[in-house]
Amino acid sequence: MKHHKMAMFLATLTLLGVVIASLALGRYRIDLKTLAQVIFSALQGDNGNTILATPSMVLFSVRLPRVIVAVMVGASLSVSGAVFQGLFRNPLVSPSILGVTSGASFGAALAIFFAGSSAWAVGSSAFLWALIAVFLAYQIGRRGGNSVTSLVLAGVIISALFTAAVSFLKYKADPYNQLPAIVFWTMGSFNSVIWADAVRVSSLIALGLVCIYILRWWLNPMALGDEDATTLGIDVPRARFIYIFITTLIVAASVSICGNIGWVGLVVPHMARIIVGSDHDALIPFSALSGGIFMLVMDTLARVLPGGEIPVGILTSLIGAPFFAYLLITNERKGEWQN
Amino acid sequence: MNTYPLKEADQIEPVLFVKNLSFGYGHRLVLQDITFSVERGIICGLLGPNASGKTTLLKCIDGVFTPKDGSVHVEGNSMSSLGRRDVAKLMAVVPQQTTVVFSFTALQMVVMGRAARLTKFRLPSTHDYHEAEAALDGLGIADLAGRFFNELSGGEKQLVLLARALFQDTHILLLDEPTSHLDFKNQFMLMDVILDVTKKKHLATIISLHDPNLAARYCDRMVMLKSGRLYKEGLKDDVFKENTLEQVYGIKVRVENTSHGTSVVVPEQR
Repeated sequence: MKHHKMAMFLATLTLLGVVIASLALGRYRIDLKTLAQVIFSALQGDNGNTILATPSMVLFSVRLPRVIVAVMVGASLSVSGAVFQGLFRNPLVSPSILGVTSGASFGAALAIFFAGSSAWAVGSSAFLWALIAVFLAYQIGRRGGNSVTSLVLAGVIISALFTAAVSFLKYKADPYNQLPAIVFWTMGSFNSVIWADAVRVSSLIALGLVCIYILRWWLNPMALGDEDATTLGIDVPRARFIYIFITTLIVAASVSICGNIGWVGLVVPHMARIIVGSDHDALIPFSALSGGIFMLVMDTLARVLPGGEIPVGILTSLIGAPFFAYLLITNERKGEWQN
Repeated sequence: MNTYPLKEADQIEPVLFVKNLSFGYGHRLVLQDITFSVERGIICGLLGPNASGKTTLLKCIDGVFTPKDGSVHVEGNSMSSLGRRDVAKLMAVVPQQTTVVFSFTALQMVVMGRAARLTKFRLPSTHDYHEAEAALDGLGIADLAGRFFNELSGGEKQLVLLARALFQDTHILLLDEPTSHLDFKNQFMLMDVILDVTKKKHLATIISLHDPNLAARYCDRMVMLKSGRLYKEGLKDDVFKENTLEQVYGIKVRVENTSHGTSVVVPEQR
C-alpha cells in the first residue's frame, strides 16, 4: 500500500517537472526566471509587460495547449490500454484491438481525400469513424458469442477492413498533397494543436478518465474471466460494454487530435504494472500519470531534437521499444508472462 | 467420518431446489429432467463419470448457463428472476481452476468476494481488506495474504478461492471438482476444511467429485448422474451401493466397510 502511494507521489512530482521543462524548452528557449515571471504576471492579470510579450505568447498560445493535450492523450491512451488489457485478460492488447485507430485513420484519410486537409474536418471525421469502427466490431463480436475471443476476432476483421480502405484511399490520392497528408497524419503529431482543440479534447478525455477512475476496482474481477466475474456478481456483458464505451470515446478523442500514436497504450500500462502491480486500484491512476509523463517527454524530444521536428509517433516506438526491452530483461522474475 | 449431527429442521427446508432441469448445446441435450434439492448444513456430492454433466449442472445452478427447461429456486427465489448481484449474494462458487493472467495477491483475490455487496461505484474499504484477511485467517492461511496467487501451490490456490467464496457470505456454496488437481494429502486437507465450514457456517454445499470414495467419506447426500440424467439421488447410504456405482461408472465394483465405519468402493479384481 505504502509502496504505491510513494510511486504515485514520485510520478506526480516527475510530471510537474516534465511539464515545466517542456514549457521552457524548444527552439525559443524560455529560462526558468522568465517562465516564473510570465506565469506570475499572467496570474496577476497583467498583460501589458512588453518585455514578456514574446515569451508569454509562446508559452500560452503555443506550448501550453500542446503540453496539456500531450499529457491528456498520453494518460488516455495508457489508461485505455490498461483497461483493455484487463478486459481482454491479455497484457499484449492495446487500445486499438477493437479497430479504433484503423477507423480513425480511415476517417482522417477520407476527410483529406474529399475535404482537403482542414484540421477540423480531419479531426471530426477521424473521431466519428473511430467510433463507427468500434461499434461495428462490438456488434460483430456480440453476435459471434460475446466472448473475449469473438470480440478480438471482430476487432481484427474491422481493422483489416479499414486498413484496406485506407490503402485504397492512399492509392487513389493525389500523390503531391493528399498522400503525404495521409501518411503524416498516421505517424501522429501534436504539431497543430490549438487552444480550441485542447479544451474540447481535454475535457472529453478528463471526463472519461474520471469515469474509469471511479470504476477502476471492478476491472479486477473482470480480469479473472467471464465466469468468475459472473459468479462474483457482475453483469459481464454490461460491464464490458461500459468500459469499451468510455475507453473508445477517449481514444477516439485522442487520435482525432494527434493521429495514430502507437506503443503508448500497449507498453505504458505494462511498465506501470511492473512498478505498482496488477491491482487496478493503483494501476489505473499510475498508468494515467506515467502515460502523461511518457507522452510529454516524447513530444518534447520531438520538438527539441536537432534536425527539425519529427512526428512523435515515430519517437514513442523508437525510444519506447528499447526501454521496454530493458524493463522486460531486468524484471523478468516479476513478469506477467507466466501461465 | 462425518461426526457432525444433522439438524432436523434443515432436512425439512431445502434452500436450493432444482426442478425438471434440462440443458443442451444446440439440439444436443446435455442434461435431462434433473430434480433434487439441498438443505443447509449438509454436503451434497455430485457424482458421475466424465461427460455425465456434473460441471454443466453446476453452471446451470449458478446461472452461468440458462436452463432450457425446468427451474432452479434459491431460498424461495426463482433464479431466472434474479440479477447477477442478487445471485452472488445467495451462492458462491469455487471454480475448478483459475488461471489468472495478472499477478493479484491472495488478499486481492479474496477481497473480490465482496463485489456483490459493495455499493455501486465503491471500492473495497480498508475495513473490507481487514475482513478479507480474517477470512484467510479463518482457513489458517493468513500467511498467504501478500503472496501472488499464481505462485501458490494447487492446494493453496483452492484454499484461497474457498476463502473468497466464504467471504461472499452466502448460504450456498458450489465447488467444481476442487480436488482434481491436488495430491493425495491435499485432497483430504481441503475436504476437511470444506466439511468444517459447511457445518460451522451451516452452509448448503454442493460439490462435484471424481472420486466416489472421497464423496463417501465427506458427503451427506449424493446425486448420481449418468449421461445427463439423474440416475439416483438421496442420502449417502442409499446411493453409495455396489449396484448403483456399477451402473453409473460401468465397472464391476465391491463396496467394503473399513474399520473406521466408512465405506470404500474398490474395483473387482480382473
